[in-house]
Amino acid sequence: MSSKPIPFEIHPSSGVPIYRQLVDQVYALLAGGQLAEGELLPSVRRVAQAAAVNPMTVSKAYSLLESQGVVQRVRGQGMRVTKPQAAGNLEEREDQFRRFLEPAFHRAQQLGLDEAETRQVVESLLQELRKTQNP
Amino acid sequence: MIKINQLEKHFDSKQVLQGVDLEVPSGTVLGLLGQNGCGKTTLIKCLLGLLRPTGGTASILGDDAWNLSADTKSRLGYVPQEVVSYPWMRVRQVIAYTAAFYPSWNGPFVDELCRRWQLPLEDRVGPLSVGQLQTLGIVLAMGHEPDLLVLDEPVASLDPSARRQFLRTLLEIVDQPNRTVLFSTHITSDLERVANRVAIMREGKIAFHGELDSLKERVKRLHIASRQELPRSFAVLGALRCEVEGTAATVSVDDFDESLVDEMRTTWDAEVTVHDLNLEEIFVEMHNQ
Repeated sequence: MSSKPIPFEIHPSSGVPIYRQLVDQVYALLAGGQLAEGELLPSVRRVAQAAAVNPMTVSKAYSLLESQGVVQRVRGQGMRVTKPQAAGNLEEREDQFRRFLEPAFHRAQQLGLDEAETRQVVESLLQELRKTQNP
Repeated sequence: MIKINQLEKHFDSKQVLQGVDLEVPSGTVLGLLGQNGCGKTTLIKCLLGLLRPTGGTASILGDDAWNLSADTKSRLGYVPQEVVSYPWMRVRQVIAYTAAFYPSWNGPFVDELCRRWQLPLEDRVGPLSVGQLQTLGIVLAMGHEPDLLVLDEPVASLDPSARRQFLRTLLEIVDQPNRTVLFSTHITSDLERVANRVAIMREGKIAFHGELDSLKERVKRLHIASRQELPRSFAVLGALRCEVEGTAATVSVDDFDESLVDEMRTTWDAEVTVHDLNLEEIFVEMHNQ
Protein backbone atom coordinates (compact mmCIF):
# COMPACT_ATOMS: atom_id res chain seq x y z
CA MET A 1 0.00 0.00 0.00
CA SER A 2 2.67 2.48 1.05
CA SER A 3 4.45 2.18 -2.29
CA LYS A 4 1.30 2.99 -4.24
CA PRO A 5 1.44 6.42 -5.85
CA ILE A 6 -0.63 9.18 -4.31
CA PRO A 7 -4.00 9.18 -6.09
CA PHE A 8 -4.58 12.91 -5.60
CA GLU A 9 -3.94 15.74 -8.02
CA ILE A 10 -3.62 18.94 -6.01
CA HIS A 11 -3.61 22.45 -7.41
CA PRO A 12 -2.52 24.82 -4.67
CA SER A 13 -3.20 27.90 -6.80
CA SER A 14 -6.81 27.03 -7.40
CA GLY A 15 -9.59 29.07 -5.82
CA VAL A 16 -10.78 25.85 -4.19
CA PRO A 17 -9.00 25.32 -0.85
CA ILE A 18 -6.62 22.36 -0.86
CA TYR A 19 -8.54 20.48 1.83
CA ARG A 20 -11.71 20.75 -0.29
CA GLN A 21 -9.87 19.44 -3.34
CA LEU A 22 -8.77 16.41 -1.33
CA VAL A 23 -12.25 15.75 0.04
CA ASP A 24 -13.81 16.07 -3.43
CA GLN A 25 -11.20 13.76 -4.93
CA VAL A 26 -11.78 11.08 -2.31
CA TYR A 27 -15.49 11.18 -3.18
CA ALA A 28 -14.63 10.96 -6.87
CA LEU A 29 -12.30 8.00 -6.31
CA LEU A 30 -15.03 6.25 -4.33
CA ALA A 31 -17.58 6.91 -7.05
CA GLY A 32 -15.18 5.65 -9.70
CA GLY A 33 -14.34 2.51 -7.76
CA GLN A 34 -10.60 3.32 -7.51
CA LEU A 35 -11.04 3.43 -3.76
CA ALA A 36 -13.07 0.71 -2.09
CA GLU A 37 -14.38 -0.17 1.33
CA GLY A 38 -11.65 -1.34 3.68
CA GLU A 39 -8.82 0.38 1.81
CA LEU A 40 -6.50 2.80 3.56
CA LEU A 41 -5.96 6.37 2.45
CA PRO A 42 -2.28 7.26 2.01
CA SER A 43 -0.84 8.73 5.20
CA VAL A 44 -1.01 12.46 5.87
CA ARG A 45 2.76 12.72 5.78
CA ARG A 46 3.05 10.96 2.43
CA VAL A 47 0.41 13.12 0.79
CA ALA A 48 1.95 16.29 2.24
CA GLN A 49 5.44 15.39 1.08
CA ALA A 50 4.42 14.14 -2.36
CA ALA A 51 2.27 17.16 -3.13
CA ALA A 52 4.46 19.65 -1.20
CA VAL A 53 1.58 20.96 0.85
CA ASN A 54 1.14 21.60 4.55
CA PRO A 55 0.39 18.37 6.49
CA MET A 56 -2.15 20.27 8.60
CA THR A 57 -4.20 20.83 5.45
CA VAL A 58 -4.19 17.11 4.63
CA SER A 59 -5.19 16.31 8.23
CA LYS A 60 -8.04 18.77 7.96
CA ALA A 61 -9.37 17.01 4.85
CA TYR A 62 -9.09 13.60 6.50
CA SER A 63 -10.84 14.79 9.65
CA LEU A 64 -13.68 16.20 7.57
CA LEU A 65 -14.03 12.88 5.73
CA GLU A 66 -14.04 11.14 9.09
CA SER A 67 -16.80 13.42 10.40
CA GLN A 68 -18.81 12.70 7.24
CA GLY A 69 -18.46 9.00 7.95
CA VAL A 70 -16.53 8.21 4.77
CA VAL A 71 -13.41 6.98 6.56
CA GLN A 72 -12.63 5.74 10.01
CA ARG A 73 -9.45 6.38 11.96
CA VAL A 74 -7.86 3.01 12.76
CA ARG A 75 -5.19 3.24 15.40
CA GLY A 76 -1.72 2.50 14.10
CA GLN A 77 -2.95 2.08 10.54
CA GLY A 78 -4.49 5.30 9.32
CA MET A 79 -7.75 6.20 7.66
CA ARG A 80 -9.82 3.29 6.43
CA VAL A 81 -12.68 3.66 3.97
CA THR A 82 -15.95 2.67 5.65
CA LYS A 83 -18.98 0.97 4.24
CA PRO A 84 -20.85 3.33 1.90
CA GLN A 85 -24.14 4.98 2.87
CA ALA A 86 -23.34 4.81 6.53
CA ALA A 87 -23.10 8.54 7.10
CA GLY A 88 -25.69 10.99 8.37
CA ASN A 89 -29.47 10.78 8.21
CA LEU A 90 -31.33 10.66 4.93
CA GLU A 91 -32.42 14.30 5.05
CA GLU A 92 -28.86 15.54 5.46
CA ARG A 93 -27.62 13.38 2.61
CA GLU A 94 -30.43 14.51 0.34
CA ASP A 95 -29.62 18.10 1.20
CA GLN A 96 -25.96 17.57 0.36
CA PHE A 97 -26.93 16.04 -2.97
CA ARG A 98 -29.35 18.87 -3.73
CA ARG A 99 -26.63 21.49 -3.24
CA PHE A 100 -24.41 19.47 -5.55
CA LEU A 101 -27.07 19.29 -8.27
CA GLU A 102 -28.34 22.84 -8.16
CA PRO A 103 -25.59 24.40 -10.30
CA ALA A 104 -26.02 21.60 -12.83
CA PHE A 105 -29.68 22.50 -13.28
CA HIS A 106 -28.82 26.16 -13.72
CA ARG A 107 -26.39 25.11 -16.40
CA ALA A 108 -29.13 23.15 -18.15
CA GLN A 109 -31.28 26.27 -18.14
CA GLN A 110 -28.47 28.34 -19.61
CA LEU A 111 -28.01 25.74 -22.34
CA GLY A 112 -31.65 26.21 -23.22
CA LEU A 113 -32.85 22.75 -22.14
CA ASP A 114 -36.48 22.70 -21.07
CA GLU A 115 -37.86 20.66 -18.18
CA ALA A 116 -38.61 17.54 -20.22
CA GLU A 117 -35.20 17.59 -21.86
CA THR A 118 -33.45 18.04 -18.53
CA ARG A 119 -35.45 15.19 -17.06
CA GLN A 120 -34.42 12.98 -19.96
CA VAL A 121 -30.73 13.54 -19.22
CA VAL A 122 -31.25 12.73 -15.54
CA GLU A 123 -33.22 9.58 -16.42
CA SER A 124 -30.55 8.35 -18.78
CA LEU A 125 -27.88 8.91 -16.12
CA LEU A 126 -29.88 6.90 -13.61
CA GLN A 127 -30.32 4.15 -16.18
CA GLU A 128 -26.57 3.96 -16.79
CA LEU A 129 -25.98 3.74 -13.05
CA ARG A 130 -28.46 0.86 -12.79
CA LYS A 131 -26.64 -0.98 -15.56
CA THR A 132 -23.21 -0.69 -13.92
CA GLN A 133 -24.58 -1.80 -10.57
CA ASN A 134 -26.59 -4.79 -11.85
CA PRO A 135 -24.79 -5.90 -14.97
CA MET B 1 4.28 32.79 20.08
CA ILE B 2 4.04 36.30 18.60
CA LYS B 3 1.97 39.18 19.92
CA ILE B 4 1.91 42.52 18.18
CA ASN B 5 -0.24 45.31 19.51
CA GLN B 6 -0.83 48.69 17.84
CA LEU B 7 2.74 48.68 16.54
CA GLU B 8 3.91 51.91 14.95
CA LYS B 9 7.13 52.83 13.26
CA HIS B 10 8.05 56.00 11.44
CA PHE B 11 11.24 57.07 9.79
CA ASP B 12 11.47 60.85 10.10
CA SER B 13 8.13 61.99 8.71
CA LYS B 14 7.37 58.72 6.93
CA GLN B 15 4.82 56.63 8.82
CA VAL B 16 5.51 53.04 7.78
CA LEU B 17 3.65 50.99 10.38
CA GLN B 18 0.37 52.56 11.42
CA GLY B 19 -0.93 50.40 14.23
CA VAL B 20 -0.30 46.76 13.39
CA ASP B 21 -2.19 44.15 15.41
CA LEU B 22 -1.22 40.53 14.93
CA GLU B 23 -1.23 37.45 17.06
CA VAL B 24 0.41 34.23 15.92
CA PRO B 25 -0.13 31.09 17.96
CA SER B 26 2.61 28.49 18.02
CA GLY B 27 2.36 25.78 15.40
CA THR B 28 1.22 28.27 12.75
CA VAL B 29 2.69 28.79 9.32
CA LEU B 30 1.82 32.39 8.57
CA GLY B 31 2.31 33.93 5.16
CA LEU B 32 2.74 37.68 5.11
CA LEU B 33 1.61 39.35 1.90
CA GLY B 34 1.63 42.95 0.83
CA GLN B 35 2.63 45.32 -1.94
CA ASN B 36 6.16 46.66 -2.11
CA GLY B 37 6.72 49.33 0.49
CA CYS B 38 3.69 48.43 2.62
CA GLY B 39 5.87 47.69 5.65
CA LYS B 40 6.47 43.93 5.70
CA THR B 41 10.21 44.12 6.24
CA THR B 42 9.86 46.92 8.79
CA LEU B 43 7.32 44.82 10.70
CA ILE B 44 9.64 41.81 10.70
CA LYS B 45 12.59 43.92 11.85
CA CYS B 46 10.58 45.49 14.66
CA LEU B 47 9.40 42.06 15.72
CA LEU B 48 12.95 40.73 15.92
CA GLY B 49 14.34 43.73 17.77
CA LEU B 50 16.37 44.94 14.81
CA LEU B 51 14.42 48.20 14.66
CA ARG B 52 13.00 50.10 17.57
CA PRO B 53 9.25 50.72 17.25
CA THR B 54 7.99 54.26 17.76
CA GLY B 55 4.75 53.09 19.33
CA GLY B 56 2.89 50.00 20.48
CA THR B 57 4.39 46.67 21.50
CA ALA B 58 5.71 43.48 19.95
CA SER B 59 6.71 40.36 21.81
CA ILE B 60 8.01 36.88 21.08
CA LEU B 61 7.47 34.09 23.62
CA GLY B 62 6.46 36.77 26.10
CA ASP B 63 9.72 38.71 25.67
CA ASP B 64 9.55 42.31 24.53
CA ALA B 65 10.99 42.50 21.01
CA TRP B 66 13.46 45.24 21.89
CA ASN B 67 14.81 43.28 24.88
CA LEU B 68 14.86 39.68 23.73
CA SER B 69 16.58 37.37 26.20
CA ALA B 70 19.45 35.15 25.08
CA ASP B 71 17.20 32.13 25.56
CA THR B 72 14.50 33.53 23.26
CA LYS B 73 17.11 34.53 20.68
CA SER B 74 18.46 30.99 20.66
CA ARG B 75 14.99 29.78 19.70
CA LEU B 76 14.74 32.13 16.70
CA GLY B 77 15.89 31.70 13.15
CA TYR B 78 15.88 34.59 10.68
CA VAL B 79 16.57 34.76 6.97
CA PRO B 80 16.81 38.41 5.94
CA GLN B 81 16.01 39.67 2.47
CA GLU B 82 19.69 40.24 1.84
CA VAL B 83 21.88 37.69 3.51
CA VAL B 84 24.81 39.30 5.27
CA SER B 85 27.88 37.17 5.13
CA TYR B 86 31.62 36.93 5.33
CA PRO B 87 32.94 36.99 1.76
CA TRP B 88 36.46 35.87 2.70
CA MET B 89 35.32 32.68 4.44
CA ARG B 90 34.61 29.37 2.81
CA VAL B 91 31.00 28.07 3.04
CA ARG B 92 32.14 25.30 5.40
CA GLN B 93 33.78 27.90 7.67
CA VAL B 94 30.71 30.16 7.83
CA ILE B 95 28.64 27.16 8.87
CA ALA B 96 31.14 26.16 11.56
CA TYR B 97 31.36 29.77 12.75
CA THR B 98 27.55 30.07 13.07
CA ALA B 99 27.24 26.64 14.68
CA ALA B 100 29.56 27.74 17.49
CA PHE B 101 26.93 30.22 18.70
CA TYR B 102 24.27 27.57 19.25
CA PRO B 103 24.47 24.71 21.76
CA SER B 104 21.57 22.98 19.97
CA TRP B 105 23.17 23.02 16.49
CA ASN B 106 22.12 19.95 14.48
CA GLY B 107 25.23 19.12 12.42
CA PRO B 108 23.87 16.06 10.57
CA PHE B 109 20.72 17.99 9.58
CA VAL B 110 22.84 20.85 8.21
CA ASP B 111 25.07 18.41 6.29
CA GLU B 112 21.93 16.88 4.81
CA LEU B 113 20.58 20.29 3.76
CA CYS B 114 23.91 21.25 2.16
CA ARG B 115 23.92 18.01 0.21
CA ARG B 116 20.31 18.40 -0.84
CA TRP B 117 20.85 21.97 -2.00
CA GLN B 118 24.29 21.31 -3.47
CA LEU B 119 26.04 24.06 -1.57
CA PRO B 120 29.74 24.17 -2.55
CA LEU B 121 31.27 23.77 0.92
CA GLU B 122 34.83 24.54 -0.15
CA ASP B 123 33.98 27.68 -2.15
CA ARG B 124 34.45 31.15 -0.73
CA VAL B 125 31.24 33.01 0.10
CA GLY B 126 32.16 36.16 -1.85
CA PRO B 127 31.63 34.89 -5.39
CA LEU B 128 28.50 32.80 -4.60
CA SER B 129 25.44 33.55 -6.72
CA VAL B 130 22.49 35.38 -5.13
CA GLY B 131 20.53 32.13 -5.07
CA GLN B 132 23.36 30.20 -3.41
CA LEU B 133 23.78 32.96 -0.85
CA GLN B 134 20.09 32.83 -0.06
CA THR B 135 20.26 29.04 0.30
CA LEU B 136 23.21 29.44 2.67
CA GLY B 137 21.19 31.98 4.67
CA ILE B 138 18.34 29.49 4.98
CA VAL B 139 20.68 26.69 6.11
CA LEU B 140 22.26 28.97 8.72
CA ALA B 141 18.83 29.99 10.04
CA MET B 142 17.57 26.40 10.27
CA GLY B 143 20.69 24.74 11.71
CA HIS B 144 19.72 25.15 15.35
CA GLU B 145 16.16 23.95 14.67
CA PRO B 146 14.48 27.13 15.89
CA ASP B 147 10.96 27.16 17.32
CA LEU B 148 10.23 30.32 15.36
CA LEU B 149 11.58 30.73 11.85
CA VAL B 150 11.17 34.15 10.25
CA LEU B 151 11.86 34.45 6.54
CA ASP B 152 11.76 37.71 4.63
CA GLU B 153 11.22 36.83 0.98
CA PRO B 154 13.41 33.78 1.29
CA VAL B 155 12.92 32.35 -2.17
CA ALA B 156 12.95 35.40 -4.42
CA SER B 157 16.27 34.40 -6.00
CA LEU B 158 15.76 30.65 -6.12
CA ASP B 159 14.88 28.79 -9.30
CA PRO B 160 11.58 26.82 -9.34
CA SER B 161 13.12 23.45 -8.47
CA ALA B 162 15.24 24.91 -5.65
CA ARG B 163 12.13 26.67 -4.37
CA ARG B 164 10.20 23.42 -4.37
CA GLN B 165 13.00 21.74 -2.44
CA PHE B 166 13.05 24.56 0.04
CA LEU B 167 9.27 24.27 0.52
CA ARG B 168 9.56 20.51 1.11
CA THR B 169 12.20 21.11 3.77
CA LEU B 170 10.06 23.80 5.36
CA LEU B 171 7.17 21.32 5.47
CA GLU B 172 9.35 18.69 7.15
CA ILE B 173 10.18 21.25 9.78
CA VAL B 174 6.60 22.32 10.43
CA ASP B 175 5.54 18.69 10.62
CA GLN B 176 7.14 18.65 14.07
CA PRO B 177 4.89 19.94 16.82
CA ASN B 178 4.88 23.61 17.79
CA ARG B 179 7.18 24.91 15.10
CA THR B 180 6.09 28.35 13.98
CA VAL B 181 7.01 29.95 10.68
CA LEU B 182 6.43 33.50 9.53
CA PHE B 183 7.36 34.26 6.00
CA SER B 184 6.83 37.15 3.66
CA THR B 185 6.72 36.58 -0.06
CA HIS B 186 5.32 37.81 -3.34
CA ILE B 187 4.98 34.28 -4.66
CA THR B 188 1.43 33.49 -3.68
CA SER B 189 1.56 29.93 -5.03
CA ASP B 190 4.29 29.04 -2.50
CA LEU B 191 2.23 30.50 0.25
CA GLU B 192 -0.81 28.51 -0.85
CA ARG B 193 1.18 25.31 -0.42
CA VAL B 194 2.67 25.81 3.00
CA ALA B 195 0.77 28.50 4.89
CA ASN B 196 -2.29 27.72 6.95
CA ARG B 197 -2.81 31.37 7.84
CA VAL B 198 -2.37 34.55 5.86
CA ALA B 199 -1.90 38.16 6.89
CA ILE B 200 -2.33 40.78 4.21
CA MET B 201 -0.68 44.14 4.89
CA ARG B 202 -1.87 47.33 3.38
CA GLU B 203 -0.65 50.85 4.06
CA GLY B 204 1.07 49.95 7.29
CA LYS B 205 -1.79 47.94 8.73
CA ILE B 206 -3.08 44.38 8.66
CA ALA B 207 -5.97 44.40 6.18
CA PHE B 208 -6.78 40.70 6.67
CA HIS B 209 -5.59 38.01 9.01
CA GLY B 210 -7.06 34.55 9.14
CA GLU B 211 -7.07 31.06 7.73
CA LEU B 212 -6.11 30.72 4.09
CA ASP B 213 -8.97 28.26 3.54
CA SER B 214 -11.59 30.56 4.97
CA LEU B 215 -10.22 33.46 2.92
CA LYS B 216 -10.74 31.39 -0.24
CA GLU B 217 -14.20 30.34 0.89
CA ARG B 218 -15.28 33.89 1.69
CA VAL B 219 -13.87 35.94 -1.17
CA LYS B 220 -15.73 35.20 -4.42
CA ARG B 221 -16.42 36.92 -7.69
CA LEU B 222 -20.01 36.86 -8.87
CA HIS B 223 -21.11 37.35 -12.44
CA ILE B 224 -24.64 38.61 -12.66
CA ALA B 225 -26.60 38.41 -15.90
CA SER B 226 -29.99 40.01 -15.52
CA ARG B 227 -32.93 39.72 -17.89
CA GLN B 228 -33.41 43.46 -17.45
CA GLU B 229 -31.25 46.55 -17.55
CA LEU B 230 -29.56 46.91 -14.17
CA PRO B 231 -30.09 50.29 -12.52
CA ARG B 232 -27.21 52.70 -11.99
CA SER B 233 -27.88 52.39 -8.31
CA PHE B 234 -26.98 48.69 -8.45
CA ALA B 235 -24.87 47.94 -5.42
CA VAL B 236 -24.03 45.07 -3.14
CA LEU B 237 -23.49 45.78 0.51
CA GLY B 238 -19.89 45.26 1.60
CA ALA B 239 -18.63 44.49 -1.92
CA LEU B 240 -14.90 44.76 -2.56
CA ARG B 241 -15.52 45.78 -6.12
CA CYS B 242 -18.61 46.30 -8.24
CA GLU B 243 -18.89 46.93 -11.97
CA VAL B 244 -22.16 47.38 -13.86
CA GLU B 245 -22.63 47.48 -17.62
CA GLY B 246 -26.13 47.22 -19.06
CA THR B 247 -27.68 43.93 -17.97
CA ALA B 248 -24.45 42.50 -16.57
CA ALA B 249 -22.53 43.10 -13.38
CA THR B 250 -19.39 41.75 -11.76
CA VAL B 251 -19.17 41.90 -8.02
CA SER B 252 -16.43 40.72 -5.66
CA VAL B 253 -17.45 40.05 -2.10
CA ASP B 254 -15.45 39.08 0.97
CA ASP B 255 -18.24 37.48 2.98
CA PHE B 256 -19.77 35.04 0.53
CA ASP B 257 -22.51 32.63 1.43
CA GLU B 258 -25.09 30.78 -0.63
CA SER B 259 -28.00 32.91 0.53
CA LEU B 260 -26.41 35.91 -1.18
CA VAL B 261 -26.80 34.15 -4.54
CA ASP B 262 -30.48 33.35 -3.94
CA GLU B 263 -31.11 36.90 -2.86
CA MET B 264 -29.47 38.30 -5.99
CA ARG B 265 -31.34 35.91 -8.28
CA THR B 266 -34.68 37.14 -7.01
CA THR B 267 -33.81 40.81 -6.45
CA TRP B 268 -32.29 41.38 -9.88
CA ASP B 269 -34.11 38.69 -11.87
CA ALA B 270 -30.71 37.36 -12.85
CA GLU B 271 -28.51 34.34 -13.43
CA VAL B 272 -25.67 34.39 -10.95
CA THR B 273 -22.45 32.42 -11.42
CA VAL B 274 -19.92 32.15 -8.63
CA HIS B 275 -16.19 32.06 -9.29
CA ASP B 276 -13.57 30.83 -6.88
CA LEU B 277 -10.53 33.06 -6.59
CA ASN B 278 -7.00 32.01 -5.83
CA LEU B 279 -4.77 33.94 -3.49
CA GLU B 280 -3.23 36.06 -6.21
CA GLU B 281 -6.65 37.08 -7.51
CA ILE B 282 -7.89 37.78 -3.99
CA PHE B 283 -4.83 39.93 -3.36
CA VAL B 284 -5.47 41.93 -6.52
CA GLU B 285 -9.18 42.34 -5.71
CA MET B 286 -8.30 43.67 -2.28
CA HIS B 287 -5.94 46.24 -3.76
CA ASN B 288 -8.22 47.45 -6.54
CA GLN B 289 -10.99 48.86 -4.45
